[in-house]
Amino acid sequence: MQEMANGKMHFSAPVSKDRIISKFPKWYTPQACLQMKDHWHTRVKTACQDRTTRNVGMKMSKVVVVGDLYVGKTCLINRFCKDMFDRDYKATIGVDFEIERFELSGVPYSLQIWDTAGQEKFKCIASTYYRGAQVIIIVFDLADIRTLEHTRQWLQEAMRENDPGSCFIFLVGTKRDLLSSAECHRTERDAVKMASEMQAEFWSVSSKTGENVREFFFRVAALAFEGSMLRDLEGAGSHSHIGAGDLIRIDQGTAEEPKAKSVKKLSCC
Amino acid sequence: MAESNPAVAVKRSASAGLSAISAEAIEGLTELDELERVYQQLCDEEKQVESELEALISQQGNIETKMLALQRMGPNLQLIEGDATQLSGMITFTCSLAENVSSKVRQLDLAKNRLYQAIQRADDILDLKFCTDGVQTALRNEDYEQAAAHVHRYLSLDQSVIELSRQGGESSAVDASLALLQEAEQRLKALVKERLDQAIADGDLAQVERFFKIFPLLGLHDQGLARFAQYLCAQLAKKAEENLLLAVGGELGERRAALIFADTLTLLLEGIARIVETHQPIVETYYGPGRLYTLIKHLQVECDRQAEKVVDKFIQQRDYQNKFQIVQSSMMRSMSTEKIEPRELDPVLLEVTVMNSRAELYLRFLRRRITADFEVGDATAPKSTVQEHQQSLEKLLTHCLLSRNMQELIGYYIPMEEYYMRESVNKAVAMDTYEKGQLTSSMVDDCFYIVKKCISRALSSSSIDCLCAMINHATSVLESDFREVLYNKLRQGFPATTLQDIQRGVSSAVSLMQTSLQQGKFNTLGIESAEDAKASFLVTLNNVEVCSENIITLKKNLESDCSKLFSQGFGSGEQAQAKIDSCLSDLVSTSSKFKDLLQEGLTELNNTAIKPQVKPWISNFLSISHNIEEDEFNEYEANDPWVQQFIVNLEQLMAEFKAGLSPVIYDTLTSLMTSLISLEMEKTVLKCTFSRLGGLQFDKELRSLVTYLTTVTTWTIRDKFARLTQMATILNLERVTEILDYWGPNSGPLTWRLTPAEVRQVLALRIDFRSEDIKRLRL
Repeated sequence: MQEMANGKMHFSAPVSKDRIISKFPKWYTPQACLQMKDHWHTRVKTACQDRTTRNVGMKMSKVVVVGDLYVGKTCLINRFCKDMFDRDYKATIGVDFEIERFELSGVPYSLQIWDTAGQEKFKCIASTYYRGAQVIIIVFDLADIRTLEHTRQWLQEAMRENDPGSCFIFLVGTKRDLLSSAECHRTERDAVKMASEMQAEFWSVSSKTGENVREFFFRVAALAFEGSMLRDLEGAGSHSHIGAGDLIRIDQGTAEEPKAKSVKKLSCC
Repeated sequence: MAESNPAVAVKRSASAGLSAISAEAIEGLTELDELERVYQQLCDEEKQVESELEALISQQGNIETKMLALQRMGPNLQLIEGDATQLSGMITFTCSLAENVSSKVRQLDLAKNRLYQAIQRADDILDLKFCTDGVQTALRNEDYEQAAAHVHRYLSLDQSVIELSRQGGESSAVDASLALLQEAEQRLKALVKERLDQAIADGDLAQVERFFKIFPLLGLHDQGLARFAQYLCAQLAKKAEENLLLAVGGELGERRAALIFADTLTLLLEGIARIVETHQPIVETYYGPGRLYTLIKHLQVECDRQAEKVVDKFIQQRDYQNKFQIVQSSMMRSMSTEKIEPRELDPVLLEVTVMNSRAELYLRFLRRRITADFEVGDATAPKSTVQEHQQSLEKLLTHCLLSRNMQELIGYYIPMEEYYMRESVNKAVAMDTYEKGQLTSSMVDDCFYIVKKCISRALSSSSIDCLCAMINHATSVLESDFREVLYNKLRQGFPATTLQDIQRGVSSAVSLMQTSLQQGKFNTLGIESAEDAKASFLVTLNNVEVCSENIITLKKNLESDCSKLFSQGFGSGEQAQAKIDSCLSDLVSTSSKFKDLLQEGLTELNNTAIKPQVKPWISNFLSISHNIEEDEFNEYEANDPWVQQFIVNLEQLMAEFKAGLSPVIYDTLTSLMTSLISLEMEKTVLKCTFSRLGGLQFDKELRSLVTYLTTVTTWTIRDKFARLTQMATILNLERVTEILDYWGPNSGPLTWRLTPAEVRQVLALRIDFRSEDIKRLRL
């Protein structure tokens, strides 16, 4: 407990200005998006205005980025988190991770972004991080149609460790700058089809030029935030918490009630 | 008005500096008192003005002397001005003089420099001649070191100087000697290369080192290093092949046979480390700092080649790949034809982690050495060079074949270790035994022993990613698989025993049957005796609690293990630390899930085992009349009608749980029980009627009960019984209106837990209180 409290203190520094999201971010294309609405869920909005929500402490969601090797997963993350682009290809070894802090509707919120290696030999390491992910980002190379075909496989593997419907799925095509607009249009059409099969939201980006990268991650942050807020609000109805971290549950029914969906509470220590 | 006016007037006059109070003000005065007061004021003012005037006059003399002094100073100032002009002229003159002199000095300086250069050039030309002669002699005498020294001298001469010399008068002579020198240089280079190659072929270390030292003198640093590395590699390869042959052909009965490939790899890597250690001084002395990277780059090629051989042999002899495939297919389908006994994997898993940790140690050694060497070499280099060097070092270490081979081995290791963990945990669950008198059963200790063993093994590989992956697997096994096992055990419920329970017992048996059918197998637990089922439930509760504690301990131990690892320099900085921290915090969060489960189980126990028993005991209270007179009250005093028996019953009921549950859980359970009792008592009391003495009786009974319950639990129960105690207080009142002595502003430190409506309801239980009086109460 002491550590957790300290951890929270550590994170309570103000969020940088370019990570403040006040307006609900929009989809990339209405043909393949997870939500059509352009505003916060009313319950979430009220909860955000409620002072108690703000004092809950640091909320964090786990984001896992998967996809074939050399499609540009690391570049995508680096463009957003560090605003840089390295031309040289450096294979990711095992997994890397970044913590990106946001402020949504005045509430601090973090994404823990796990950047996995695309190489087969690292799959055994990367796959142990799939569990409990709130967001799965499947990346493919717009200029290499085979990588799009493989996304189905990636989704299957990632979902093996998660309950269906428990995570937001994004399908992201990279290296948009390498394609002519006609080619891009054609590939995007295929990708939109794939995305709707997967019930994923499609985005088309370029890490080199930075096109759509920021918009994409804002969208991810907003949906993940809203999702976890809604889940907490629902969860609060079924059981009450005694104390801050002990989570002793006063049970309402018998032991036979279905397992409550695991509410991830990542401490930051 | 009349009083305020003068004051205003005085103020005004003071601020204006004029004397007196305005004339109108004086004229407006009619009272004598006022007049006198104003007069007095005017007199004071006059005195003040007089004293001020005197002060001014006394200063007059002083000012006049000062004026006189100033007038006298006038002519002096004119003199000073003249002097200043003269001084300025002199400074200007001196300045131009200095400029003149300094330009001459500059010219002299230039001349001196030129002179030095001329001398230098003359020296160089002389040197050139000397070198030409020297090289010839040295070559004739096979004194290659001397010859190389001459060539080095020639090479270090300024080439432009030589060009200029050729344009001079002695061009032909210089040309001739230059040609000779160049020829000698070429000859020497060819000769030295040849001799070094010869020495390498002969494996003559003394000769190899001799010629290796000559190369940098001829400006052939890279070639020298490449050839030297070639020699070292040949030595290395010979030794490594011998070792591998020994390993493969070695007697399997040897003590370290199980780790023979790890040992072979260790020998290889230690050999390279020793080479680096021995030869680094030569390279540094003769080639200068910053060259170690080049040498190691060459050596690493051989290291990769030899390491791959070891790894290949390992995979082949240990049947590594095959084992992995069997494991993988049996994890995909639970019903597999071929299955590996987890214990069989023990040696091979250990060997892989040892191999990886050796490789990590070796790479860490290289990193340290090369970084230190670069630091000396790049002390004055620009930032871009430093960065470039760092990147090439990074590339060498992370992308060398050795690293990639190890990554692949670890890639197979992790699923196999996962399999080992899952299978062993399953086995521990299947072989679960429980000895009477013990609080927990064997599977908890076994399971945590296994998880700890697997994570420790992963930790011993020194690979942070490998460790994190295994921590994640452990989290998953504990949170899903193992928790599920305990959860299912708790779901079977605590069997009911008393008659009152029969209904509940039937329903739980039905649900048990249903779950058994759903799982597709009939659970033998269903026909076990009730006693066993009871014990099993209590043991499971203890198990759940121990799990939650163990997870926290495991995390703490891992944290300290990891900090040891980091302090040894493994893992590259913050990233690795952050990764570990994140994985560990995921692990520790499962502890609270076990706590939740414990709470659920206790609630279940409370509902099935305690509630059905306690409820009828409490309803017995109804059969004891509390509408009593003096006689009955005394009778109750002699023969307690209810509370003593109730306490005895409770004592008996809880004895079983006290023996079977850990103190912490038992305490939580008694706390649940006391809540239940207070709730049920409240309901029951509201169904009774009381006389004045009945209220007193109830108060006595409640006191006994609370006193007893306080002794059995460490939680404070006063709070839980606050409402009941207040009800007793109300039932004990003399008159209805007496409540007002305790209510509202008179409540003092007492906080009422009963609402006004409830107070009225309780008052109405007293048969001797009139309902009109109660209605009339203002609460």
